[in-house]
Amino acid sequence: MPMGHPYIPNVREIQTQMLREIGAASIDELFADIPSKIRLRRKLKLPNAMSELDVKRHVQTILAKNKPFTQMLSFLGGGVWPHHVPAHVRDLVRRSEFLTSYTPYQPEVSQGMLQSFFEYQSMICELTGMDAANASMYDWATSLGEAALMCARVTDGRKFIVPTLISPERFNTLQNYVSGPSLELVKIGYDRQTGQLDLSQLRKELGQGIAGVYVENPSYLGFLETQVDEIAKAAHEAGALFVVGVNPISLGLLKAPGDYGADIVIGEGQPLGNPMSFGGPLLGIFACRDDAKLVRQMPGRLVGMTTTPDGKTRGYAMVLQTREQHIRRERATSSICSNEALCAVAAAIYLASLGPRGLRELGEACAANANYAMRKLRAIKGLKVPIFNAPHFNEFTLNCDETGMSVAKLNAELLNQSIHGGKPLRDKFPELGETSLMCVTEFHTKEDIDHLVNALAEIVG
Amino acid sequence: MTSYRQARWVGEDGLEPLVFELGKPGRTGYTLPPKLHEQLNLPKHLIREKLELPELSEIEVVRHYTRLSQMNYGIDSGIYPLGSCTMKYNPKICEELASLDTAAHIHPYQSEETIQGALELMYKLERCLAEIAGVDRVCLHPSAGAHGEFTAMLLTRAYHKFRGDGVRTQVIVPDSAHGTNPASAAMAGYEVVTVPSDARGRVDLKALETAASERTAALMLTNPNTLGLFEDKILKIAKIIHDVGGLLFYDGANLNGILGKARPGDMGFDIVHFNLHKTFSTPHGGGGPGAGPVGVKDELEKFLPVPVIEHEEKRKFYYLNYDRPHSIGKVKAFYGNFGVLVKAYTYILLMGASGLREVSEAAVLNANYIMRKLLGTKGYELKFDAGGPCKHEVVFSAEPLKRETGVGARDVSKRLLDYGMHAPTYYFPPIVSEALMIEPTECEPREELDRFVGALKNIAEEARSNPEKLRSAPTATAIGRLDEVKASREPILSWKMYRKHRA
Amino acid sequence: MQDGLYYSREHEWVKLEDKLARVGVTDYAQRKLGDVVYVELPEVGKQVKQATEPKGKEMELGAVESIKAVSAVYSPLSGKVKEVNQALQDRPELVNTSPYGEGWICVLEPSSLDIELKNLMDAGAYAEHLKKLE
Repeated sequence: MPMGHPYIPNVREIQTQMLREIGAASIDELFADIPSKIRLRRKLKLPNAMSELDVKRHVQTILAKNKPFTQMLSFLGGGVWPHHVPAHVRDLVRRSEFLTSYTPYQPEVSQGMLQSFFEYQSMICELTGMDAANASMYDWATSLGEAALMCARVTDGRKFIVPTLISPERFNTLQNYVSGPSLELVKIGYDRQTGQLDLSQLRKELGQGIAGVYVENPSYLGFLETQVDEIAKAAHEAGALFVVGVNPISLGLLKAPGDYGADIVIGEGQPLGNPMSFGGPLLGIFACRDDAKLVRQMPGRLVGMTTTPDGKTRGYAMVLQTREQHIRRERATSSICSNEALCAVAAAIYLASLGPRGLRELGEACAANANYAMRKLRAIKGLKVPIFNAPHFNEFTLNCDETGMSVAKLNAELLNQSIHGGKPLRDKFPELGETSLMCVTEFHTKEDIDHLVNALAEIVG
Repeated sequence: MTSYRQARWVGEDGLEPLVFELGKPGRTGYTLPPKLHEQLNLPKHLIREKLELPELSEIEVVRHYTRLSQMNYGIDSGIYPLGSCTMKYNPKICEELASLDTAAHIHPYQSEETIQGALELMYKLERCLAEIAGVDRVCLHPSAGAHGEFTAMLLTRAYHKFRGDGVRTQVIVPDSAHGTNPASAAMAGYEVVTVPSDARGRVDLKALETAASERTAALMLTNPNTLGLFEDKILKIAKIIHDVGGLLFYDGANLNGILGKARPGDMGFDIVHFNLHKTFSTPHGGGGPGAGPVGVKDELEKFLPVPVIEHEEKRKFYYLNYDRPHSIGKVKAFYGNFGVLVKAYTYILLMGASGLREVSEAAVLNANYIMRKLLGTKGYELKFDAGGPCKHEVVFSAEPLKRETGVGARDVSKRLLDYGMHAPTYYFPPIVSEALMIEPTECEPREELDRFVGALKNIAEEARSNPEKLRSAPTATAIGRLDEVKASREPILSWKMYRKHRA
Repeated sequence: MQDGLYYSREHEWVKLEDKLARVGVTDYAQRKLGDVVYVELPEVGKQVKQATEPKGKEMELGAVESIKAVSAVYSPLSGKVKEVNQALQDRPELVNTSPYGEGWICVLEPSSLDIELKNLMDAGAYAEHLKKLE
C-alpha cells in the first residue's frame, strides 16, 4: 500500500471506503461539474514533493544568500527597526493554541486570544494617551491610509494635510487609500535648518474642508517635531482632526501624543516584540480618543470587556462589529478582516515584560547610542550629522556632500567592510543632497559604533 | 475521545486576571545591556512623566500568557471546520524556517546584494503561484485577503483609466459573496451592484446579464462559491463580463476546492488573489498575519505595485524594479509579509505538484462525505443542489430544526464546543437561513469526520429532548455565553476605559 | 402597532402632532433587529426626502444597530429634522422596550404632508403588509 502524506491522513484505502459509503464511483466524479474545457489535464509545472529534510536544506540554502543583521553590522531603520526580542516572547507567541487559532468568533472557547487582544489594546492606549485602540492593522502605512479615510468620514472634510518630510512609502500608500473617495493630499514644508513644520504655511492651508492634519513624531528623518502643541491647536481651530504617527519604542521616553492634542494615533508596532522579517509581517497601530463619533468610525477589530449574563464573570468578545465588513459590507469602515493579530499579541507580551521602566530605559539607551554615534560622526571632516538642528531620538541624517563622495559610494565602501550604511535619501528628497538615514538601537554596542566611525573616517579621509 | 473540558483559570472577577492586575512595583521581565552615558538634550515639554504599564517578572508573564493560551482553541487542538477559512494543519517545519536568522533578521532597505535569498524565494513563490492559478504575473505585497482584493480593485481602476474608459463606476458582487468583496470595492471608490443567486445556488445569469453594462468595471467571484458549489457556468459568466468590457476578479478564498484540478486563469479570470493563510497553510494566528498576493494576466502586469522583483539571467541576480511608470504605486510600506511567504513557499515544496492536487481531492472528498452522511438527518437540510457534489465545503441549513424545536444554527454551534470541536461558520452566507458552513479540509482523518457528523446528529436529538442543553451551551469551555449586547452598548475597550467605568 | 399612526413600508411609524410629525420604528422592526445597542441619530436641521425606490442617502434618518445588523431608518415624509431623541444615546434599548413611546427617533417638520400622507399606510393596511412578509 502506498504511503500516505503526513498532512493527508485519509490514505488511498480509506478514501476508497469513503467513496463507497457515499455512493460515488471515484474522486473524479466529485469534480465532474467542472466543464471539460477548463479541467486541468496535466500536472502543475511545479517541483515534485520534497521530504521535510530536503525542503529544509533547499530553503536554508536560498536564505543563506541573505546577510542578516546578526551577521552584518547595519544601521538601517526608517520604518522597521532592529530590537532584541526576549526569548520568552517568541516562545509564548508560538504556542499552538495561539498560533493555529482563527479570529475569535466563538468567544467562549477563545478567551485566551480575546484577553490578549484586550491587553494589547490597553497597553497601546497607555503608550499613546488614547482611550481606544483596535487589535491591529497591516502596518503604519496602511494605518495612515485608514486614518485619513476616518478623518474624512468624521469631519466630512476632503483634504488631508501631511508633512513634506513624510516617509515616502507611507505617502505612496496613503495616496492609494485616499484615491477611493478622491481626497486631496496637501504637503506642508519644513524649516531647512530645524526640520520643523512650517507653521505659517500650515495655517494658510487650514481653511475649510480639512479632514485632518498628520505629523510623524519622531519624524521619518529622526528629529522631534517640537511644535506639536501649536499644530494641534491650529488643526482643532479649523475643525480638523489631529493625527500623529509614532515609533512606539520612543513612547517609553517621550510624551504620549494624547497629551499634546492627538485625536488619532497610528504607528508601527513591529519593534514591540516582532523581528524585522524583511518588512513583513508588521503591526499597524491605530488608536483614538473615547469620543462616540470617533470610536464608531474606527476601522479594524475591537475587543471589548463584558460579563456573563448574570453579571458575575468577566469575559471578552469582539464588539462594535457593525462597523466591519462581514456585517456592513460596502458600507463598512474598512474592508480589513484578517490583520496582524499574532504580532499584536507578541507586542502585548513584550510590553508586559518591559514595563514602564524597561521601556524608558530602552528609549534612553537607543537615544544615548544614537547621540554617541552622532557626536563621533560629526567629528569626521566632510560629514554633517545630523543635517537638522533639532533634538533627535534614535535616527538621524548623515550628509556627505562636502566629501565629494556620494552616499552610494560611501555605502559601497562600507559594505566591503561588512557594514551596511544608512538609507540613501537623495532620490526621494533631492533637496537634501547626498544624505542618508541612519538608525541606532540597543542592538548596537559602543564597539559597533566605533567600528562604523573608524570605517567612515578612513573612507572619506 | 468521549468528553472534553477546556482549561479554566478562575480569578476574583472572572477568569485569569488582566495583566494590569498582576505584578508588583519594581518587578521586570527584561534586561538591557549597560547604557552609554550621553547628554540627551531632549526638550522637556516632550518628555514623558508617567507610563501606566504593569510590572511583572518574567515568570509571571510566562504563566499569564501560558494560562491564556490554555483557554484558547486552535487547529492543533481539534477539528476547526470554519467555512471558507480552510483551517488546515500548519506544518511546523514552516515555522522553523521562517524564524531562521536569515529570514527574520533582514531589513527591507538592505541593498540587493545582501538580500538575494529573500528576493529569490519571493520570485520563485511568485512563479509557483502563477502556475497554480494560471496567471502571468504575481505580486506578493498585500498582507491579507481583503488587502489583496483592495489591490485588485486599484488595478482594475488603473486598467480602465489607461484605456481612457472613465464611465466604469460599478463592481458586481454576488449576494453570497464574503463581506470583504463589496467592502474592498467600495474602498476603491466603486458603487457595488449585487446580483442574486439562482435556485441552484449559483450566480443568476439573467440577473448578471441585466446588471452588466458599460459601467461595469469588474465582477468579483469566488469559485467554488461560498456555498461550496462550483460555478459551472463560469465560461458564460466570463463572456458576459468580457463582452461589456469588464474585468473578472477571482477571490481565492476557496482555492482549496480546485487546487491542481482547474485554474482560475483558464476560466477567464483576469485578476486573482490568494489567501496564503488558507490554501497554503500558513497559520492564522488568531486573525493574522496572513498574506493576500494578487496575480494578473499580461495586460494588467504594468499596473502592479512597486517594486517588482526581476531576475537578471546573465548575472543570476535578483533586483527590485521601481521603474514602472504605470504602476499603481504602493499598497503597503514594503514588499509583503515575508515571514508568511517563507511558510507558503515551504508548503508548496513539501506538497509538490501532485501533492497539491491530492489536497483538493482529499478536501473535496471530506466535504462530500460530511454532506452525504448528514443529508437526510432530520433538522438539517441543504437549500441548494442536494443532487450534485459539493466542493471543499458544504452549507447546511438548521432552519428545520429551528422550526421544530426553537433552537437553530447558533445554539447548535455553541453546543458543538462542548464536544471539543470548533463550530463551523454560522449565519453565513446570508442567502441561507440558519446556515452552518462546514469546511473540514483535507487534514481531518475520517474518524474525526464521523465524530463531527455524529455530534451534529446528537445535538439535533438534544434539541428535541432537551433544548435547554443547547441554549445554555457551551458549559465545557472556559466561559459560557457572554452578554454581547452589553458589550456593544457600553463598550469598554481598554484598561483605561475600564477604570473610568468602574469609578 | 397602534391606531392613529401612519406606517411606511420600511417599518417606520409617523404620529402627527399639530404641524409636526414624530417618527420611530415599529414593533416589527425592533423585534427583527433584536437588542438595539446603538442609534445613529440624524442631525437637527437635516433635509430629508420621503423614501422611494431606488433608496438614496437623502432619505435616511440615521440607523438602528443591534450586535449583528444595522438597519437604516428611512424617512416616511419629506421635510426637515426639528428634534432628535437624545435619550437614545444612553439608552438605545428604549427602541426595544417602547418603540412607539419613549423610543421615538426624531420629530420632522413635513414639507409636503398632504400629498405624501397618501403614500403611507394606516394600522390595518400595515397589518396586511406584515402578514405578506411572514
